[in-house]
Amino acid sequence: MKMVRRVAFNLFAWSVVGLVAFPLIWMVITSVKPQFELFRIPPTFLPETVTFEHYWTLIYDTPFLKYMRNSLLIAFGTTLVVIVVATLGAHSLVRFRYPGRERLAQLVLFTYLLPSVVLVLPLYLLMVWVGIANSLFSLVVAYTTFALPYALWLLRSFMQGIPDDLEAAALVDGATRMEAFIDVILPQALPGIISTSLFTFILAWNEYLFALVLVNTDEARPLTTGVMNMLISSFNIEWSLLMAASVMMSLPLVIIFAFLSSYLTRGFGAGGVKG
Amino acid sequence: MATNPLDRRYALLGAVLIAPTILIFSAVIIYPLVSAIYLSLFTIFTPTLRGQWVGLGNYAELMASNEFWRSLANTFIWTVFTLTLQIVLGIAVALMLHQNMVFRSLARSLILFPYFVSTVVAVLVWRWLFNDLYGILNYLALISGLLQRPLDWLGSMPNAMISIVLVGAWKYFPFVVIAVLARLQSIPDQLYEAAKMDGAGPIARFFDVTLPQLKEVLVVVILLRAIWDFKEFDLIYLLTGGGPVISTQTLPLMVYKEAFGLNDMGRASAIAVSMMLVMLVFMVLYLRSAGRSEREGAR
Amino acid sequence: MVTSTGPSRRIVLAGLGGAALAAPALTPASAQPVVLRWWSPQTAPAQREAYNFQIRTFQEANPGVTVNFEATSDEGYPAQMAAAFASGQVPNVVTHLPSFAVSQYWANNLLEPFNSVIDAIGPANFFEGANRIYEVAPGQFAGTGIGGSAANMMWLRQDLMREAGVTEVPRTWDQLRDACRRMQRGPVFGAPLPYARNSMTSLIFICFVHGAGGSIFTPDLQVNVENDAFRNALEFYKSMREFCPPGATNYSWGDSLTAFVSGATATGIYTGRVLANVATQNPRIASSVTCHMYPTISAATPHWTFNDFPSVMIPKGASNIEMTRRFAAHLFRADGYIRQLHAAPGHVLPVLRPIYESAEYQANPLIQANRPAVQLMSQAASAGHNLGWETTRHRPNVRAGQIVASHVFAEAVQRFVSNNEPIATVVSDVARRLEQLMRA
Repeated sequence: MKMVRRVAFNLFAWSVVGLVAFPLIWMVITSVKPQFELFRIPPTFLPETVTFEHYWTLIYDTPFLKYMRNSLLIAFGTTLVVIVVATLGAHSLVRFRYPGRERLAQLVLFTYLLPSVVLVLPLYLLMVWVGIANSLFSLVVAYTTFALPYALWLLRSFMQGIPDDLEAAALVDGATRMEAFIDVILPQALPGIISTSLFTFILAWNEYLFALVLVNTDEARPLTTGVMNMLISSFNIEWSLLMAASVMMSLPLVIIFAFLSSYLTRGFGAGGVKG
Repeated sequence: MATNPLDRRYALLGAVLIAPTILIFSAVIIYPLVSAIYLSLFTIFTPTLRGQWVGLGNYAELMASNEFWRSLANTFIWTVFTLTLQIVLGIAVALMLHQNMVFRSLARSLILFPYFVSTVVAVLVWRWLFNDLYGILNYLALISGLLQRPLDWLGSMPNAMISIVLVGAWKYFPFVVIAVLARLQSIPDQLYEAAKMDGAGPIARFFDVTLPQLKEVLVVVILLRAIWDFKEFDLIYLLTGGGPVISTQTLPLMVYKEAFGLNDMGRASAIAVSMMLVMLVFMVLYLRSAGRSEREGAR
Repeated sequence: MVTSTGPSRRIVLAGLGGAALAAPALTPASAQPVVLRWWSPQTAPAQREAYNFQIRTFQEANPGVTVNFEATSDEGYPAQMAAAFASGQVPNVVTHLPSFAVSQYWANNLLEPFNSVIDAIGPANFFEGANRIYEVAPGQFAGTGIGGSAANMMWLRQDLMREAGVTEVPRTWDQLRDACRRMQRGPVFGAPLPYARNSMTSLIFICFVHGAGGSIFTPDLQVNVENDAFRNALEFYKSMREFCPPGATNYSWGDSLTAFVSGATATGIYTGRVLANVATQNPRIASSVTCHMYPTISAATPHWTFNDFPSVMIPKGASNIEMTRRFAAHLFRADGYIRQLHAAPGHVLPVLRPIYESAEYQANPLIQANRPAVQLMSQAASAGHNLGWETTRHRPNVRAGQIVASHVFAEAVQRFVSNNEPIATVVSDVARRLEQLMRA
């Protein structure tokens, strides 16, 4: 009886998983079908001929790899900047006492409310003024507008979960505040920092609107706008290439995720997300 | 009380640590925000940024415009439905993944994946699934007899709204799964044992034990997701572009259209500012009620 | 309550504007190599190849000059151009935007005069009247065309016509509906008309208004929609719905084209790009595809071709203006220009008569195989118009870009076709919104 229930539950659970993952599986299948098979009516389920030509086309005949490099640089750059700044900031908000601290914490949440659309143009003017318009760096700066409040907010909750006594003990042992921060707080907060990095990376990797308006050269264009621009146009929609591009766009995330997935839930578990 | 010298020095260090954050906030957030409010008082031709002072004229015009109210309503419909689905699905799937199942870690990875793929990818894949001629969804519905002729998923109402709500839920529910799953793992087993001893069934155990434990994390997750959904641009813009007519045009899309299609930066800023005010009101109300019930719960 | 500083226009965010103007000063022009930026939304791989050739030959002829090609898109260019103008960091040359974008930017004093480039190309080389749409004041040109396009050609599948017993090429809307009805069977639909909230729907609808013998504005730009022609166009658009695939409510140029090329529809509406796409994606049907003028309401109503006059312009404030002008003219040098035109034969049609007549241009296999179609499209394009210049009698309309971007026509189509709203309210709403847009 118990066995039957187990099997039934597993079947049910895996069909839910299958349902959620189906679009992605379909994406992979479509990407290895030759273009003419896509427009077959009725559609074929498994490809009759498996071809990797779309992948080769993307790699050799298009700026895809350049976009990929840009996306990686932007996402890593944003993550690095945001995490360093946010970790220090969150530490300050949680462990120090100074006037205006509470207001500041609320302000963080408020800045999170700003819609990107309204920031685009003033930001662009700012970039031009500073002289970094149309560059990878301009996107890193732009992405901090939404990534920093988010990361700060997450890290603050993680750090609130670290007991005060630990730092106090270190201070009693004669450590300075910064030493205590590096030796005690950072290791404790590490799972939280890693999972926040992951979330930040995802945000930066996936952004579309800023990239659309702020950047216009292939030297700085990330994958999101690059692929759309390149493959969806008024003269053609190359579904097979789009699906191949989608698969390749997702690969870096799969790899990163494979290494860090355990931190995701651990991070949340350790700190617990608190208000 | 920062009275002794050490405390004062600490306060200074704290200020130093937060300084980069404040600097960045002022440069890339406060400054654009202030300029948005300032711009909203003018009519401004976007490419030249030349304009004329109209005071609150833009706001008055908005209040009288059906399009604004319709877009606001759309924003609410989209946010409420997609958020509800995300939360319900997220909790359900998290509970499922918390159980023992074969290849559990693979299942977890697959479930979390929609959150990782970029919006552009998600939109492309779904548009391909929804395709009227070659799409697999229509084909499956046709051969299974659910449909007589292909369904127009994105171009007619209410299908278009339902479709974006579904895709939004699919894309973002894994975030809820992550947060809830983490919390589930830290609920002590004794609580369930005790409830079992009291004779509570699985459903009663969920409502009496699990849900109260999840509450804290849900309050935050709902807040974060609600703000994010309210602001969502990429997904809707790329899926329907706001159509048919303006049935799925949310406020961010309207801002984009006014700013760059109609080149009226002033009106666009006014919409954005109004949008922030709406969010602010809801956020304050929400935090207040969440805070109150938390205090009551603690009592 | 609302105070006003009077009619004087002023720069908002003056600090920023000043800063933007100051920015070029940071980079001394003399010591540095000259870099030109070239923007275009037409970026198919074959076109990019032709552009690269043009850039290479220009760089070889002008040592020390670098030209960077930067892709924009049909949907994204208004935002990107706005950002560029607002910041003062403009590209040097922008090509392939519709002519009404040129008139709009010119009207706001954002473009460099273009006369010297046209002189360098040779005014006599252009087809008769090719530059009229860019003549913003007598003798003053804001830009020029880099090509012509005939966007609303009707494409037919002769094989499907034979099977359905359709013998005549449809000339009127009634005949077109009849042909679609007969050819629509099994998985094949009659037509791929767009019913979406996008620019294609708006542009196709404008074609239909003219096909009904009307126009959106009177020659002196008064709104002219509350009449039979406009209503007939709406009715016709609605009557075609049953012959279009369900997803046509989201079609844009790419979807519409793909539907015809893949064989899912019996008729198509597009430029000569059909030829190239059929040849590469569905050669099976290549021999049965023919090209015709799109039907109108009656045989007595003349055809009207939508030509968005893919343009060339130089934004005001572009760096190295002399070199920029030289590059703009270089784009029309025979070797590179023909390559560019051959990248999508029949899609962008030459504006220079010597080029069109040259053996090199005609030597392209696709053009040779479809000579009647290319000839027809060239004729149609040279007599073409668009919302910025509806007929030869019309004054140029500098608001055309905003009107298309406002989706006012696309929404009218959707409200009337999909939502079944009464025609009177739809039309009066269009009239009201057009008045607003013209006043704004």
